Formats: sequence, structure tokens, C-alpha cells
Amino acid sequence: MIPKVAVLSGFGINCEIETMALFDMAGAKASRIHINSLVNGTVSLDEYHIMAVPGGFSFGDHLGSGRLMGNRLRFGLRNQVRNFVKSGKPIIGICNGFQVLVKMGLLPGDSDVSLTQTASLTINDSGQYENRWTTLEFDSKSNCIWTKGLTRMRIPVRHGEGKFVTLDNNLLDNWSENGQLVARYVDPSTTYPYSSDEVLPYPISPNQSWRNIAGVSDPSGLIFGLMPHPEANHSTWLGATWTRENIEHGEGEGLIIFRNAINYVIENFDN
Amino acid sequence: MMNTVSFVEVATIDRDGLADSRGNNIRKMLFKDQGIDVNSVRVISRYDIFSDLTSEMLHRSVYDLFSDPIIEYGLANENVLFSNLHFPSRPDIVVHVGFKPGVTDNISQAALDGLSTIFPKLSKKSKIFSSKLYSFWGVHSSDINKLVESLYNPMIERALISTNADCVKNNLNILDIPIRENYTFTKPKSISLDVSNSELMKISEEGLLALNLNEMQTIQSHYRQKNIQKKRNELGLPTNMPTDAELECLAQTWSEHCSHKIFAAKIHHLDNETNENTIINSLFKTHIVKPTIDIQNDVEWLLSIFHDNSGVIAWNENWNLCIKAETHNSPSALDPFGGAMTGIVGVNRDILGTGLGARPIANTDVFCFGPPDYQGEVPKGLFHPLRVFRGVHAGVRTGGNESGIPTVNGAIVFDDRYIGKPLVYCGTVGIMPKILKDGRESHIKTPLKDDIIYMVGGKVGSDGIHGATFSSLELTEESPSSAVQIGDPITQKKMIDMILEARDDGLIQVITDNGAGGLSSSVGELAELTNGADLDLEAVPLKHPGLSPWEILVSESQERMTVGVRKADCQAFEKLASLHEVEATIVGKFTNTGSFDVYYGEEVVAHLPMDFLHNGCPQLELKSQWIKPNHNGISFPDKDEKGMGEILSRLLGRPNIASKESWVRSYDHEVIAQTVIKPFGGVNHDSPGDAAVIAPIHGQTQGAVISNGIIPRYSDIDTYAMAAASVDEAVRNAVCVGVDLDLIAGLDNFCWPDPVESDKTPDGKYKLAQLVRANRALDDVCRAYRLPCISGKDSMKNDATINGKKISVPPTLLFTLIGNHKDVTKAVSSDFKEAGDLIYLLGETHQELGASELAFMLRDESKGDSGIGNNVPQIDTTRNLTLYRALTKSMSRGLVASAHDCSDGGLATALAECCFGCDSGASLEISNIFSKSQDLNIWGALFGESLGRILVSIKPENSNEFEKLMIGNECNLIGNVDSGDLIIVKKLGKTVLTSSMTELRKEWKKTLNEGGN
Repeated sequence: MIPKVAVLSGFGINCEIETMALFDMAGAKASRIHINSLVNGTVSLDEYHIMAVPGGFSFGDHLGSGRLMGNRLRFGLRNQVRNFVKSGKPIIGICNGFQVLVKMGLLPGDSDVSLTQTASLTINDSGQYENRWTTLEFDSKSNCIWTKGLTRMRIPVRHGEGKFVTLDNNLLDNWSENGQLVARYVDPSTTYPYSSDEVLPYPISPNQSWRNIAGVSDPSGLIFGLMPHPEANHSTWLGATWTRENIEHGEGEGLIIFRNAINYVIENFDN
Repeated sequence: MMNTVSFVEVATIDRDGLADSRGNNIRKMLFKDQGIDVNSVRVISRYDIFSDLTSEMLHRSVYDLFSDPIIEYGLANENVLFSNLHFPSRPDIVVHVGFKPGVTDNISQAALDGLSTIFPKLSKKSKIFSSKLYSFWGVHSSDINKLVESLYNPMIERALISTNADCVKNNLNILDIPIRENYTFTKPKSISLDVSNSELMKISEEGLLALNLNEMQTIQSHYRQKNIQKKRNELGLPTNMPTDAELECLAQTWSEHCSHKIFAAKIHHLDNETNENTIINSLFKTHIVKPTIDIQNDVEWLLSIFHDNSGVIAWNENWNLCIKAETHNSPSALDPFGGAMTGIVGVNRDILGTGLGARPIANTDVFCFGPPDYQGEVPKGLFHPLRVFRGVHAGVRTGGNESGIPTVNGAIVFDDRYIGKPLVYCGTVGIMPKILKDGRESHIKTPLKDDIIYMVGGKVGSDGIHGATFSSLELTEESPSSAVQIGDPITQKKMIDMILEARDDGLIQVITDNGAGGLSSSVGELAELTNGADLDLEAVPLKHPGLSPWEILVSESQERMTVGVRKADCQAFEKLASLHEVEATIVGKFTNTGSFDVYYGEEVVAHLPMDFLHNGCPQLELKSQWIKPNHNGISFPDKDEKGMGEILSRLLGRPNIASKESWVRSYDHEVIAQTVIKPFGGVNHDSPGDAAVIAPIHGQTQGAVISNGIIPRYSDIDTYAMAAASVDEAVRNAVCVGVDLDLIAGLDNFCWPDPVESDKTPDGKYKLAQLVRANRALDDVCRAYRLPCISGKDSMKNDATINGKKISVPPTLLFTLIGNHKDVTKAVSSDFKEAGDLIYLLGETHQELGASELAFMLRDESKGDSGIGNNVPQIDTTRNLTLYRALTKSMSRGLVASAHDCSDGGLATALAECCFGCDSGASLEISNIFSKSQDLNIWGALFGESLGRILVSIKPENSNEFEKLMIGNECNLIGNVDSGDLIIVKKLGKTVLTSSMTELRKEWKKTLNEGGN
């Protein structure tokens, strides 16, 4: 079985080409789907096994990153998206796509898929958009299907609004207990596992996100969103310091996230 | 029913772990730029809404659209500042800043789109106006004027102040809604040219036409021809005089900006040094086109040169690459943010408009500014260089990042003389499939008679009228605000997505962008391909009513492409546009009538024979005279080894050399997931790279190299040396990452002061001689390196006269290089790799400190007692190329651990930068490098900028093989990478320079650091 992936596009999404390339490299068949073709019914999400909301600057991030695109999905595709989630299919949002999923209430989300916003991504404490490489550590106890088996990964952030915040700490505790705080910035000089809720210094934490959160999943572990770009490290020659490393060239560190979802689909939908 | 006038205000919630980062940014900027220290700044977003919203709908929109329920606090029809819960004390001052009428307001457009997503039945006439309320606590009253001035640009914005007393009374002063006054439609009219010469010039000057007397007379005589008059009579046009639309169209097409008259001029060149006395018939044809054509005879990969929006080369069997760079200097001087943003999104459209459409995949940005720490008086009407820097950087960042195009390469150059006009070079690389699915070659435009002309993308407004002619004039206090625009990257991004799909579906016959000159240029130029076009201005969608036909014709409103589509494909084309929510309107058709005919509905407003429009402009005749300048020599102070370390430290802190990391990091340089060699590398990701390497086809290892060279300092001594050094620097940078020297191409972007002798420019002959010399260097060096120029641009009026004082930029050439990389996994980065690696200096070092960064530093530090010298670096292309080939061969065999070019600040600077990348020191013994030059002193050896030199490091086990490959070239082993922190340079055992790497790095990072936290 070759899983089919709907990679959303339009309105300022701009990482759809590389996101498609990653799914294809990992063994799926990715298609670029303009959001309007889902809204007007020429394409249906039902035909796909995975949905990806790539990075970009949807609607110029005006009125807050991801907000207007989140509204297009929340108001224009509410039922399609809810049915997709309820049928147990994986969704990923990267960077602007993560902001979209958070602003529309799909992440960190709830088991009813009520699409109620409970967290947000706000302007980096630096006040600047930044492109820099970070190291992520993954929660090994999480049920997130996208990060299964992962420990650490080096991938870049490229955002101005990536600071994960919420209304109160109880919510954070709940998400933490559920294993939903899947990916966190970590000091690469420490040894795995390193887990601390103290905000790490800039630029190890590039945005001063609460509890160093870089990515979260929903309670089912099927929906995953993160600020850094795993698709930016699809090949070894794209690493930040590859010219200093003695490596065999080939697959980059980020590809495994995409392969995990594809394997999940093959295990659960290939009948 | 538009009965509701309401507003929504939004502030960030103030609590632990959350910050008003926009406010904090303003606070930091005020302190850094103006020395104004305020306690706190809060930024409130305000939206004034004209719509048929009910009160319930309005309140719903507060948290469904305008504000974020988690981090923001929003109110409808109430001022958030007066909410005691969120703002316990009233601010000392509030500044309301909003746009002037008619200025592009992207936030409002987005908000309106968002509102109609929630309420699909919202009246189509609804309008939203965005603005900001900057609120300050703890402000000294003496700072208020400067504070307010730094918050807005009166060219495009308005500001209104509320004092603490106002706020205590809960009375906020709010700007009127920026509704433009009714724009009056003026009917097409004619302008009689049967007038005296002085009247002709008055018509040109008052109409901002930028046409000289000879050109005005040429137009005058065109309308006196009997056959022309007969034809015009038949068409119902005034027979013996041009219409306003015709005159404007000619002025645009013949503008210096569009037709490069100085580069096409006949030049009588005198050289006082050599007694040369020659006539040059077009610098462009002689020194730029001819060398490329000669190279084209020998290679297969030069596909499209000079005539299209960008130059196209064949990169491999399946893909072509194209590249173009533009300048956007005048608009960036007046509105740094908007000017620079339209610069970058504008050159993106050049790529989109190449052949049948190419995808932009990488941006380059090179800026020249006045010094960021400039203390002198800033002429009225201009901004402080740091403000220009901030605005330009923000504009290019926004334009590039929001378009999803990585900024992979660039430079920033500082010089006092850029205070009058900053130079803002924006470049873009594109990729296109060699053959489209329908079998057509993508680099060839294929329009036919009767193909339909679409205008695609944005609407036309009064913004951007006279951009092309305005940039052909010098900057004055009266420069028009209509020449300034703000780009809308998201509208353009939607258009790019749509156009590229249309291309792949085979729907495009011909395409070009609407840049300078608007429709008059885009349709006028494409019409050459079929020998005619009809254009109906009444069909053009407008931003606001009332535009006159000539204004629609020449408006440079952004985000528009002109596309030719076969009749049979129109339906499919329009369907695609509608899916992407992109406006696509039929505005005309291609003909073969031999003329460009412009209508407004039924009425003919212009009839311009193609030949007259494109070939009628008379050739300029100019004079140039080279007199070699003579500068005072450089006085070297007495310094011991520590003193030399301090010299290096100060050199590294000079803005031209200092780290630009905190600025460059805010460009996305990795979107598209292809960037192999990034702007910064090394163990801490902070040492500067030489050239960008991208691998644009995901999963494949063939790459492209992008580099640049720019060294305007050398123009003070000799522009020949300046241009030669610029090309060499671009090549050297590309060589450092392992470029394939058999496939390299270049772009020349000249920015000159006005070189035409006149009362205002008494030194025009010298400035033109400087241009001649630069062109000759370009010719010589490009031929020698087999490096054809495939496109380029010139901007020839980079002068400003403000308060009666003329400021001219130094003659500046940006040379951009694009090259092939056979295997990016063999690419080399500039950072030293590990202690024990051997360091070699490749290339000859001569005593060439003339106009070097060191010479300028010593001049500045001695308050002018030390001169800049005369020995500017000279080029030896044969020697350099042999060395470059040997080095790239060594790289392809994996023998080279690092390579970094020696440029600004010479060997010592290069060494320090390589050390930063390894986070360690180095120890050098440099006596060998003195062998090639009798008069070389230690200053020249350490800080001289001799061309053709590259500092490399080699693993000890590879040194034998490396040295063997370098035989026949100057290749000196000069030391090794150390594990400690010290950088030590010895000559014949005696220490001549010593310093701590960490301390040097601190100085290097300090000057331009914006701080991340």
C-alpha cells in the first residue's frame, strides 16, 4: 500500500513542495491540495490517509500567525477535518501549519475534537524572526505516532512567533501527563534524557517557549504539530555542521518523522 | 446597508511569562538609535470597520478574528487603554499612527478577508483600516519630538498625539479614517509640441518625463511627419501632437531606467594617462554583450541572454536556472521598508516573467548604507543611515520570508557617501523545467497574433506613477510620494502559485512582469514579439475610481503580471485564477499591425508605431576623460605584536567587516530545504560563509553556487581595479565552496553617480571615464575567466541634492555569480575544522593596501593625516584562474578541509574568521609569503587585499597530495590550527601579531549586534 498524503497549499503556505518531497522520499504519494478545492468540494479529504499543513506565511501572519488560515479551516472545512480526525488518520502541522492547528483548536486539542483554542504561539521573546538550528528532545512516553522511537533531532527553526503559551499551568500539567508535550528544545551538550521545565537560555530555546515546548500532539497521538522544520533536514548535506562531521551521506535526521506516519497508516489502513 | 462604523482595539495580555514583544522592540530601538530611555511601551492594534455588521457579529469577531483569546485582550467600540484591569495607570503619551489615504494596507486586506470568512454574506463594500496606538510610560518631555518622529514616516503615514492629560480624561485623539479624496478623472488630452525648445523642456520637467531636449525634439518631429498625421487622422486622434498617454508611454519606454541610454551612448573617450582618444559606440554592446556572445559561440549552456527579464542557463538535462538582480535605490531612500520590499518582490516577478515562467528559489540582498554610527548632520528629507538600514532590512526580510524564498547570499557595505542615496540590490535565482509537458522549451516565449492579453494579480492604483522616470532623476526634497509603494507579498505568492500551475498546464504563451512603466512597458515590450498589440485601459481593474487613462497605462502598482493566453485556453486559465483567488482580467490582444494601440473603451488614446516606440530614442553623445587621481600615502603607526592584534581587533569591528549575523539570521535562508552551505557555519554556527550552495532538486546532489563581489572603496583610486576586484571576489567566493568553473555566469549591476557633464555635474567627464574603465575591466576579466554576463542592470543617477549640497555615491559595481556544483557533498565550508590541520595561503601577496579597509581605518583614526594610498590591488587573471582550477580539483577529491577568501582586511581578517568557526586559535609563520614581492611590509602582508588569494586548511594526511595538485601555483604552508585561544603570527620566528580569538570575536560581533534577547 502506498499511503496518500494531502499537503495543503494556498494563501501564503510556502513549504508545500519540500513537504511533499519528504513524504514521497519516505514512501508515500503526496498531492498538493489547494484549500479552496477542499472547500468547493472538487477534492475530498476522505480520499487521503494523511493531511499535512506545511509552513509558510499564510495571509502574511496578519492578525496573528495562523489565525486567518485556522479560521478558513475552522469555518470552511469544519466537518471534513473532524471526520478526518475521527477516522483515526494522522495530521501534521509544521511551523505556520502548527500555528494554524493551535489557533483552530486542533492542538493540543481534546478527545471530542471540539476545535476550541486552548493554547497559542506568540512572538519570540527576542522580538525577531530567526532562522537557526536547534536540538529537540522527544518524550519517550508519548503516544504520538509521528515521534515513535525518537530521542533527539537537529532541525532548524524559522519563525517569529513560536513561543508556546497557554492560559494556566494546570493545562500544561495535564498535557505533560498525557505525553502531549512531545518535542522540547534541549541543550545539545547534555545527555539524553534531559527533562526540565525550566526555560532554557536563548538561543538554546530560540523563542523562550513555556517549558521549552517545540511541538505538541493531541490526546490520540495522531495529530502532531511543531515549530521547527523536520522537512528541512531530509538529507545529510543540509545539516548545520555537516562539513565538520565524518558522515556517510544519505538520509537526514528529519525524514523519520514522515516515515513513522506512513508506517502507521500501512499498519492500520492496509486491509 | 453600510450603517455601522465601529472599531476594535487589541492589546497583549500583561502577565508572567508573556511580554509585549512589539513594545519591547520599540523600547530597544528608541534607546539604541536615539538614546531615548522609556520605562515601558505597549502597542495596541486598532481596526476601524465600515460594514453592515450587527453588534452581535462585531462582538463575536473580537475573539474569533481580531484577537487571540489566549494572549490578547480585545474590545469593540471601547479603548483598551482605559481598561483599568489591563492598564492600571494612564500612559504619559500615546501616538496614533496610521496610513495616509491610498497607501497599501496589507493588514486591513487580511482582516477583511478574515471577516468575510466568518460572515460570508458580509457586504462587499465593507472596509477596514488598521492602525497602531503606541503608548509610553516614563517619557521625558524633552524626548517627545524625537520619539514621535522615529515612529512614523510622514511620506506614507500620519501620527496624532494624546498627552497624559488627555488620557486621564479618557480622551484619546484618534486619526480620521484615511479615505482618499475623490480622484478626478481627467479626460484624455493632447499636448502641443509646436513650441520653443525651452517650452519643450518645461513640458518634460513639469511632467516628470525625464526626457532631454534632443528626445523631446525627436518626438516633436515624429508628429510632424505627413504619413503619421494621415494615420492619426484615420484613427480620430489629434493629428499633429501626442496625447498625454502617448507622451507618458514614450517617456517610460525611453527612460534611462528602461532603456539604459548612458550604456547605449556614443562616448568620446580621452585618457590623459595614455593619450587614448577613441569613440566607443555603446558600452553595453561593446563590453558586456560582445564578450558574452563570443563565449556563447563556444558553449551550449547559454540559453537566453540580455533580452528577457532574466538570463537563462542550462543547468542539466532537465532544468534551467535563471538569475537577475535589480536595484531599488530611490524608493528605499524615501520609504526604506516599502521601497526595499517592492525591490525584492519586484525582482521575484522578473524570474516569474522569464521565458514561459520560472520559479524563484533563492534571493540575494546587497545593501550600501551610510555608516550606522554616523554622527554628522542628516540632510533634510533623508533618514539617518541606521533607520534606512532597519527599514530596508525589514522590507527585504518581509518580502523574502513571506514569499517563501530563501535569502542565501548578500553583503552590506558602509560608506559616508551612501547617506544621500542607499543602494538596495535585490537578486533572485529561478528554476524552470527545460521542456514543458506540451513539448515547448520553457525559456522561449511563443505569443501569436490574436492571443489574449491578461493582467493578473493586483489592481491598478495611483501608487507608483512615475517610478521609472523618477528613478532617472536625482533625489530632491520635492520627490513625489506617489513613487513610493508597499508590496503585498501574499497577493503575489498566490499569483506565483497560480502562474506556475498555468505554465505546467501549458496555458501560457508569453509572460512578463509589470514593473517600471507598468502596462505601457509590459504590453509595449511583448508587442515587439508579434509586431503589435491592442490594449483597453477601461477593462483594467482599479483600486479606486477616477484614474485617467494615461495613469492606468503607466502606473507601477505592484504584484501584476501580463500574460498572453490562446483563446482556447482562456476558460481554463480563468478557472485556475479563481481557485487561487487571483484576479485575472482580459485587457487586450496581440496583433501584427505594427503598432501599439491603446484604447479607453471605444476611444483611441494612443497609437504608437512599434519601431518609433522601441527604436526611436536618439542615441546620446557623451564625453569622458580619465585623469588619474593621486592620493596621499598611508602612514603606518609603530606597533608591537600586541598593537597589531589591537589593529586587527578594530578592523574586525569596522561595520564593513563586522559580523552581520543578527541581521542575516532574520532572513529565512533555508526554506525550500535545499541550502547546503549557509550564510553562517562553524561549530557555533557563527562564522561567515563565502558563497551559498543550494541543491534545489530534493534528494539529488547536483548544486548551484551563488556568490557576489562588491568593493566600491577601490573606485577612489581606479574603477578598473574596482570592477576587476568585484568580479574576482565573486569568483573567489565561488571557488571557496568548490564551484564547477566550466559553468559559471554573471550579472553586472552598476550603480553610478550621474556621469553626464552638466551645470549640476561639472565632473561628469571623469565619472563617465570611471564608467568606461569599469566596463573595460568587466570585459577583460569576464573573458579571461570564461564568465559570461547573462543579465544585469544599471542605475545611473545615484545623487542627492539636499539643502543645496550634492552627495554622489562612489561608483559601485555589484557582480553576482551563479555556477554549477557537480556534487554538493563535496562542498567546502570556510571554518577551520580541528586543531592540527595545516593552514596554507594560496596566491601571491603584494604591497597593495591602496583603498583597503585598513587604509580607510588609518585615515579615519588619524583624522585624515594618513591617506588611502595609490597601490590598489591589481589583477592577474591567468595566474588566478590556474590556481582556482587546481584548488577546485583538490576539493573534488575531498582534500580540502576549509577554504576562505582573503578580501576586506586581508589575510589577518580571513584567519580570524576561520578560527571563529573552529572556536580555537592558530599559529602562523608567514615569512614565505614575502618571496614574491620586494616591497611587501608586514602591514601589506597581514592586511593587504591582493586578489586571487584563498586561505585553506588541509588535514595533515592529505597535505602531500594537495601540494602535488597545487604545483605551479603559489601555495605556502603558513601554519596550523591550534587547540588554544591564541592567534599568533610570526615572521622569521619573531611574533608580529598576537591576540585572543575570543576577544577578537567579541569585537567582531559587537558592532552590528542587534541582540536576540
